[in-house]
Amino acid sequence: MNFTQQLVNGIVLGHAYALIAIGWTVLLGVARLVNFGHGQMYMLGAFVTWYGVSRLELPYFVAIPLAMLAGVAVGYVMQRVMLQLTLKQDLVSIMIVTLGFGYVLHGAAALFFGSTGQILETPFSTKDIYWGDLWFTYQDIAIVIAAILFFAALKYVIDRTRIGRLARMVAEDPQLAQLAGVNVRRVYLGVFAFEGAAVALAAALVAPRTPILTSMGFDEVIITFVVVVLGGIGSVTGSYVAGLALGLFTAFFGAFVSPAYATAAAFAVLIAVLVIRPGGLAVSPGGRRA
Amino acid sequence: MNTRPVLEATDLKIAYGGNVALDVPRIAVRERELVGVVGANGAGKSTLVNGLLGWSRGSPKVSGKIMLDGRDISNLPPHERVRSGLLLIPEGKLVFAQMSVEENLAASVDVPTDGQRRRQYSIDEIYALFPRLYERRHHLGSQLSGGERQMLGIARALRLSPRALLLDEPSIGLAPRLVSTVLETVRSLVDSGLTVLLVEQNVRAAIEVVDRLVLIERGRIIAEGPASEMRGDPRIAEAYLGAHVA
Repeated sequence: MNFTQQLVNGIVLGHAYALIAIGWTVLLGVARLVNFGHGQMYMLGAFVTWYGVSRLELPYFVAIPLAMLAGVAVGYVMQRVMLQLTLKQDLVSIMIVTLGFGYVLHGAAALFFGSTGQILETPFSTKDIYWGDLWFTYQDIAIVIAAILFFAALKYVIDRTRIGRLARMVAEDPQLAQLAGVNVRRVYLGVFAFEGAAVALAAALVAPRTPILTSMGFDEVIITFVVVVLGGIGSVTGSYVAGLALGLFTAFFGAFVSPAYATAAAFAVLIAVLVIRPGGLAVSPGGRRA
Repeated sequence: MNTRPVLEATDLKIAYGGNVALDVPRIAVRERELVGVVGANGAGKSTLVNGLLGWSRGSPKVSGKIMLDGRDISNLPPHERVRSGLLLIPEGKLVFAQMSVEENLAASVDVPTDGQRRRQYSIDEIYALFPRLYERRHHLGSQLSGGERQMLGIARALRLSPRALLLDEPSIGLAPRLVSTVLETVRSLVDSGLTVLLVEQNVRAAIEVVDRLVLIERGRIIAEGPASEMRGDPRIAEAYLGAHVA
């Protein structure tokens, strides 16, 4: 095993995980909502990008915003349908509805894009970089840079801007936020639309690493779940750190033990962390999230 | 004093699951007036102010007509009533605990600036009014004392250019000295142009600062009048001021 190669693999994988999870982190942090259709939204983002690049012959950088727009549309529609459930914070119904939404997306995607696997080729994914014994692609570099920029921008927006303050107000107490003149419904719609855009961006960047299928999505939901919970629900910094840690863990566990048991091992770590720190890694003793 | 009501509700009925919690034919607050609503626990005082804003942590059925500055706001959602200038400082949770005092005071919405009718208090004015908040400006809401939270709650509302302020039980949990301070601050705000409907269980303290008093029992107004007259009303004097009326 090449330790440095596994370190690189882990860093890339970790940033990919963090990128996939960021939308759900904000969704859970601000709206206290879950979306079990998140994986299928990832799949849709990947296929819209693929369709844009391969069928419409659009440049990759045009296909990405197209996928993000599709993600925004799906997130918006999903939230419009569930608005009453959202306002009542009816979590069980929301879980079932989002799960159902995921299956509808899966069916619709299979109908439109077909059920055969596809390869999403980008200008970066086919360009390899060899550096001594190390190997990676330009796509890997794009994932790491995009993830860092996205997380830094999101952290800035949430901590320093008016929109971020509105989101934090709704996250802490939606009813008190109403008394400050905040349109909570609009914030919820915005958060869902953001989640759709974020997961589509993640798909457009990460999906070129592997073949894409309309049946994919389950792994992405599981990864997202682990990252979000491990990072401390709603914590942007926590999600980044947890994604990176999970990526490194998966890479080294796969190399040292077996890739087949990496997910099971990740869950074992999740259980251990939650037993020791029930709020996740990013929650300080005072309860404030990083 | 201008006699035109700034806030007026008629035929206001609020029911929870078929049980009528409040039935008020008319209640009005005039320009620069401080009206106190008093009554026992569960009389419907909080239900009244929450209903005026269309805001509740439950799901009540609300009917009736609510006018703010002659404009019907009955069908507006709570956040739009706030933007229209009707502000509520609720009982209990008043501030965002995970935000600093400064962040709590940052106005969250773009308030209309229609000149003299909607005055927005600047941050400097807020700190001049509540110097303690300036000292604590970098602290989180969760780190403030009860009195400081009450001040911050009022200050947050002032930042949103209130036309009328609904204040729910500001004395709860406060030391007697702080109760006087908070109520005197409210009085001074009214004297400087604000219109306030104050719900208060501490009748003894409230009657010292309000212009008019409204007594509510079991969701209905059973007496109202100028504070000076209501002080002698046996229903007030015996039940709330501890006086024995022969």
